[in-house]
Amino acid sequence: MKPRAGGSGTILKWTLAMAVVELKKAKKSFGSVDIIQNVDLRIEDGEFAVFVGPSGCGKSTLLRMIAGLESVTAGEICIDGEQVNGLDPSERGVAMVFQSYALYPHMTVKENMGFSLRIAKRPKAEIEERVAEASKILQLDALQERRPSQLSGGQRQRVAIGRAIVRNPKVFLFDEPLSNLDAELRVATRVEIAKLHESLGNTMIYVTHDQTEAMTLADKIVVLRKGQVEQVGPPLELYENPNNIFVAGFIGSPKMNFFEAEMAKGNKLTFAGASVVAPTAKGAVPEGAALTVGIRPEHFDRDEKPDGKIDVAVDFVEHLGGTSFVHGFLSTGEKVIVEHRDAGSVKSGQSVSVGFSAKDIRLFDSEGRRIR
Amino acid sequence: MSSATQGQSGPTDKFPVIKFVSIAIISLVIVSPLFLLIVASLKPDRFQILAEMGSFKAFIVTNPTLKNYGDILTFSGNQPFARYLVNSVIVLTFTLLGGMLFNSMAAFVLAWGRLPGRAIILTLMIGLYIVPQESIVLPLLNIMNNLGLADSFAAQILPFWASPLYVFLLYQFFSQIPRDLYDAAVVDGASPFEIYWKVFLPISLPALATVAILLGIETWNQYLWPLLVTQSNYARPISVGIAGFFGADSIYWNLAMSASVVMMAPVLAFYLMFQKWFVSSVISSGVKG
Ligand SMILES: Nc1ncnc2c1ncn2[C@@H]1O[C@H](COP(=O)(O)OP(=O)(O)OP(=O)(O)O)[C@@H](O)[C@H]1O
Ligand SMILES: [Mg+2]
Repeated sequence: MKPRAGGSGTILKWTLAMAVVELKKAKKSFGSVDIIQNVDLRIEDGEFAVFVGPSGCGKSTLLRMIAGLESVTAGEICIDGEQVNGLDPSERGVAMVFQSYALYPHMTVKENMGFSLRIAKRPKAEIEERVAEASKILQLDALQERRPSQLSGGQRQRVAIGRAIVRNPKVFLFDEPLSNLDAELRVATRVEIAKLHESLGNTMIYVTHDQTEAMTLADKIVVLRKGQVEQVGPPLELYENPNNIFVAGFIGSPKMNFFEAEMAKGNKLTFAGASVVAPTAKGAVPEGAALTVGIRPEHFDRDEKPDGKIDVAVDFVEHLGGTSFVHGFLSTGEKVIVEHRDAGSVKSGQSVSVGFSAKDIRLFDSEGRRIR
Repeated sequence: MSSATQGQSGPTDKFPVIKFVSIAIISLVIVSPLFLLIVASLKPDRFQILAEMGSFKAFIVTNPTLKNYGDILTFSGNQPFARYLVNSVIVLTFTLLGGMLFNSMAAFVLAWGRLPGRAIILTLMIGLYIVPQESIVLPLLNIMNNLGLADSFAAQILPFWASPLYVFLLYQFFSQIPRDLYDAAVVDGASPFEIYWKVFLPISLPALATVAILLGIETWNQYLWPLLVTQSNYARPISVGIAGFFGADSIYWNLAMSASVVMMAPVLAFYLMFQKWFVSSVISSGVKG
């Protein structure tokens, strides 16, 4: 909101008023351990960003740094164009929804939702109005006088979201908000959060380690590993165009298959007894280089005329109804998973030949970086 | 059907006689002195009490009277028993108010404050708890006299506003509160004091009740400290007042007995009213710590 020096005209002012969240070389250490290392990230106004990554990679820490619950060791965090490093959480215009709901057990639903406004000494009428409004959005009207202990898990989560809405924040922060819910409720609440984002239009940052949540909710996925950003992009971009083996393996379920490969004469890739023309420019990879080939389970047998075939010794078959996953081994002993839409005939112990196209191959060098 | 299940439902049910007898013995041991006290307080003559003490007559009163209860109010003119009772209530009230506030505030800061050297303070505090109160009585008395607080209510109240035991008890409770709850309040804009006052205290009622009960009993039964620190009737509590019946020349058993009943009655009444809290407070202070 602060007009920047040299800034002029209404357009600049307007863009500055938006809830862009920006991290510049943000760093966090606990003692001598660096948990977050030089994270540069920009989340646009109204964007739904999802942080994913393995357990302990620092997703929660990064979110808490944005919230102001964790101090920043070095670097900058800006919300709305303003550096917020030194601001208290309540001054940053953020609201947070916790995995454990973190409702105040001694307060009713209504009191829980109105707590922040009461702390801010807002007039009673305004508190009533805003709580009522949020309750309507989340269908909590009938539960106003209940205490958290008298609510189901899903209702508690809705109250926690309501508590965030009431504050009318610039940025919503969610830390694995659905992981305590059962599968059915998780899907329902996921849809609700997506709708909420659509209707409110706020910037939202969401931490999860659930694939589906990340893919379905995100405008932008941020893949973290060991406190560093591995890749940032829209879900499909990350799915189609991973920058490295880690992202390729992390996005998509079941995981992408990886095979050891070698570059042979004439820009040909050889792996697991197959030989195909590499999906790279000729000469981009020196002959004899050791490479890794990645093919997603769902990308086998897609085309009538495959560019290559590999033999799979079937270990076992998982039938999911609409589709099946065939788990097996290659002749090299490498594990492989193949998705089959019609696997009724495939039995363990059998050997099947599956085809693939060169365009579905993702190629990585010995350090795991993508070769395009 | 019920007899079949009863026989197998646990070791305690297998020996109802033993259970009954042991409960009877325990209650007899605990209740009989109380009973004896009440009976004795109804006997008009102190020599009668003394004479009957050794026999089963101690449990019987043939000529009950409430005269003793009237007499303690006016005993030898300078034993204003009503005053002692009021004094005790004043000391209890203010000790509880301050004790609850300061012990819980200290515990909150130790559990959730960003305090440098927190671990050292905790260790020192537990060390303090091991030091018996009697051993610090004399230096404390000195301090009180130097502060000009001799023979005052303040001298009986102030030293008990902070206790390592209660700080530690509440510290334990506060540290078990999930971090998310604290953080949620921070994000909601609450200051540390507001978090303490509006979130932590209300959800800590069981722990606070424990502390209130233990501290209350301790205060009500204080003897050595008020004996040393009160020189006149001005602030003297009932516990010390009772000792006045044990004169140098004669012991007024009848009056001492009825005074003891008066001192005990509020505690008993309170216990019966809040029996559930008492039991759980003793359990939580003993088992869970
Ligand atoms: N207060 C702290 N002091 C020391 N280390 C901490 C602290 N908080 C977190 N860490 C460490 O920081 C790392 C990242 O933790 P964080 O909670 O951000 O992981 P996460 O990605 O959210 O994991 P999960 O998916 O399991 O929730 C972990 O190794 C953790 O042990
Ligand atoms: Mg986490």
